[in-house]
Amino acid sequence: MTAETLVNSKLVCVALNDKDQLAKLEATFSEAPYKQPPTQPVLYYKPRNTWSRNGAEIEWAKDFDGNDVAEMAVGTSLGVVIDKETCRVSAEEALDCIGGYTIVSDFSLPEQNYYRPDIKGKCLDTTAPVGPEIVAADKIANPDALSVTISVNGERKSVFELANMERSVAELISIISRIMTLQPGEIIAVGFAGNRVPVAKGDKVESSIEGIGTLSNTLGGA
Amino acid sequence: MRHARIILDGHELDIQIDANDRITTTDGEALDVDLDSDQITWLPPVKEPGTIFALGINYADHASELAFEPPKEPLVFIKHTNTLTGHKQVSYRPDNIDYQHYECELVAVIGKTGKNIKREDALDYVAGYTVCNDFAIRDYLENYYRPNLRVKSRDSLLPMGPWIVDTADIPDANALKLTTTVNGKVTQDGTTGDMIFDVPFVIEYLSKIMTLNPGDMICTGTPHGIVDCQPGDTVVCTIEDICSLETRMVSEQEYYGDKY
Repeated sequence: MTAETLVNSKLVCVALNDKDQLAKLEATFSEAPYKQPPTQPVLYYKPRNTWSRNGAEIEWAKDFDGNDVAEMAVGTSLGVVIDKETCRVSAEEALDCIGGYTIVSDFSLPEQNYYRPDIKGKCLDTTAPVGPEIVAADKIANPDALSVTISVNGERKSVFELANMERSVAELISIISRIMTLQPGEIIAVGFAGNRVPVAKGDKVESSIEGIGTLSNTLGGA
Repeated sequence: MRHARIILDGHELDIQIDANDRITTTDGEALDVDLDSDQITWLPPVKEPGTIFALGINYADHASELAFEPPKEPLVFIKHTNTLTGHKQVSYRPDNIDYQHYECELVAVIGKTGKNIKREDALDYVAGYTVCNDFAIRDYLENYYRPNLRVKSRDSLLPMGPWIVDTADIPDANALKLTTTVNGKVTQDGTTGDMIFDVPFVIEYLSKIMTLNPGDMICTGTPHGIVDCQPGDTVVCTIEDICSLETRMVSEQEYYGDKY
C-alpha cells in the first residue's frame, strides 16, 4: 500500500441498501441465521490496506492455500466525503456536513453471507479504489438522484439508481453520526447495486457517476 | 521496557517507563512524576493507530456462557480510532439500553509490515502487548455482520493502555492472569491460556487475507465473567505483567455534552 489515496482515516460502506435486493432476500432474511430483516443500516469497513486509486491494478485474491480464488466481484457506490467533524447530526443537517463526492468501488469475493463480518471477502489488499477525484458538494444538487454504472471491458453490466436506496444519503449520515463521530476526509460509500458484477483476471472495470467522473481499474492476475 | 503516550503540563509526550517505574521521554529527558500521578493524562498508547482487529468468542468458557459453538475459525471484526480512549478516561453508556458489558482483552500491537506471515514467525511482527476494554452493547446486536458497528464501533468504547510492553518482556502471552473489577469487586477472573486462537494463529490467519501494518492492533477476545455496567461505575481491566486499564462510565449526555 504505497499509493496516496483520497481517503482520510476511515471508509465506511453501507451494504444491503438496494431496495430490490432487500425485497429479493426478504424470505432468506426471515430464516436462520438472520431470523428477521435488518432494522438498521448494515455497515462494514474497508480498512486502510484496501484503499487504492483511479488507474491502479486490483490484486487478484488468493485463497488460504495460496491459490488464486475462483471468483471476484465488484460493486460501486457514490462516496460521500465528510467536510467537518460530524457528531449526532439530524438528517436535515446532514447534507451540510458533506464536502464533496467521489466514487468508491468495492472489489471483493462474491457476497454469500451477511451473518458475520466478511473479513475474508472484503479486506483484501487494494480492493477499494476511490476517485478519480473529489467533486465539490455544491456541484451536485441532489446526491440521491444520481445513478452509478459499472462497465467491464467496455460493456455495461450494472446501473443503480440511488433513488432506489433503502436509506438516503442524509438519513445514513445522521444514523452513522450517532454511532461514531465522523472526521473531515472520512468517506461513506452509501449504497451498492444488490447484484454485484462478476469480474475476471485482467478485466478493465469502469465505474461512472454523471457529474463526478469515471473510476477505472484493472484486475490483476492475468 | 514499556511505552506510552501522555499529556503532561500541556505537552503531548512519547515516554518510556523502565523496570523501576522511572519515566523518560523518547528524547531522553527524565520526568519527575509518578506513574499514578493525576498530573498525567494517558492517551491511547499506539501513536499512529491503524486498523483495529477484534476477536469475538475467542475463549472456550466465554463461548459456552453465551451458548455458542466455539468457532472453527476466528470471528474477526474491525474497529476504528473513534473508539479509542486512554487509561483513566471515560466511556459512555447509551441511553435506553439494558446490557452493556466490558471485555478485558490482551492486545497485540503490530510493529512490522507483513503478509503471509507464518505462525512461527508471527511474534517478530508484534511490537508489544497492551490491554483494552472492548465494550459491547448487546441490545444492538442484529444478525447482520454480527457484531455490528452499533454494538462495537461507538465513540470511546475501546479504552486501551496505559502502556505497551515490549514483546521480548513477555515470554508467554498465553499464560497471563486476566481480571476485571467493577467498583473494586472482581467480576472477571480468567487466563489468556484459555484463548482459542492465539496471537500467532491470528496473525497467520489475517496476513493470509491482507497486509498487516505497523500500528495495527489485534484485540484477542475476552473470557467468562461479563456483567452490565452503569454510569458512575469504575471498571479496571488487568492483565498480569502487561498493565491495568481504568475506565469511568458516564451517561451519553455527560459524554456528548453540548452535542447531546
